[in-house]
Amino acid sequence: MDEMADNPDQAPTAAPEQSDAALADAARDGDERAFEELFVRHRRRVALIASRFFRQRQQIEEVVQESFTKAFLALGEFSNRQDASFAAWLARIAFNACYDELRRQKRRPESTLSDVTEEDAARLRERLHADGMASAGDAESVAVSRDLAAKLLARLSPEDRLVLVMLDAEGMSAAEIAGLLGWSVSKVKVRAHRARASLRRVLGKFL
Amino acid sequence: MAGEKRDAERGARLDRIGRELVRASTGDEREAEAVARSPFLYAKIRTGVEAERRRREEGEGWFALFAVAWRAVPALALVAVLALALFLSAGAGEMTTAGLGDEALLGARDGDIEQVVFASAHTPSSDDVLTTIIGGDEKEGAR
Repeated sequence: MDEMADNPDQAPTAAPEQSDAALADAARDGDERAFEELFVRHRRRVALIASRFFRQRQQIEEVVQESFTKAFLALGEFSNRQDASFAAWLARIAFNACYDELRRQKRRPESTLSDVTEEDAARLRERLHADGMASAGDAESVAVSRDLAAKLLARLSPEDRLVLVMLDAEGMSAAEIAGLLGWSVSKVKVRAHRARASLRRVLGKFL
Repeated sequence: MAGEKRDAERGARLDRIGRELVRASTGDEREAEAVARSPFLYAKIRTGVEAERRRREEGEGWFALFAVAWRAVPALALVAVLALALFLSAGAGEMTTAGLGDEALLGARDGDIEQVVFASAHTPSSDDVLTTIIGGDEKEGAR
């Protein structure tokens, strides 16, 4: 979670010496430049979290907007818990925004397994028999693999997908996930076990 | 035994492929970078914040209205109960004084009608008188 700390390559707009907590306090009291500074510091991390779940620029942008809007309106809650890191608090909001977007997407599915063409299925079988999804090919091949992987993951429930991405793509531990989502560690483990079983079933259809 | 081992191996293989699948599904970091550096992103966030504030204020307005209405419910209920009690007590009093006899039907002030009705009820009609006379004549004739 330390990677969420300030990004030195991005020039802050105001008061660079101030801590996140101080800026959050100032923003809560109506200092708009303080919130802009927080945005500049953390926008990249929030966009990266969103990109773990969504590939289209518009979707990533929506999640970033939603996360910062929620954060701004909930600054009072953060100020009441000064012991927490602003970055971790914001990451929690961002993951929850992703989860909400996944649920919305599930209600209006645009790419499900039914969208997996014969060509996709043949490519997937080939990859599975070659024992892996990792694509070391050219950019186009990587994009095709990414597209296919996204189609297959769309078959999972939002909860399953959330936990798997946090475990496998973000490399978080069950305790970290539990802390971020406000779940118990055992709930995270049970959910991860079920999610892996679901993914095995999806992949098993192509073996 | 061999089947179980084969299933376990197959499961482990699918889990490994699944992990790779999840990693492969994530978006391009360059895309995230481009979004983060989008020039109008902060302006859009400010607009979103203002819209959300307005929405909440409107929601609070409705909520306040409902709260006032909710507080008014007991007072309105009390008024309704009192009105009902008043209505019932007035109706019951009228029933008691009027009673269910002739007076209730005819009214206390309609003395003339009452007399006529009672007169018509107790006075013999001309047919009765005629029948009585004829009956008396027949009896005397029979003697």
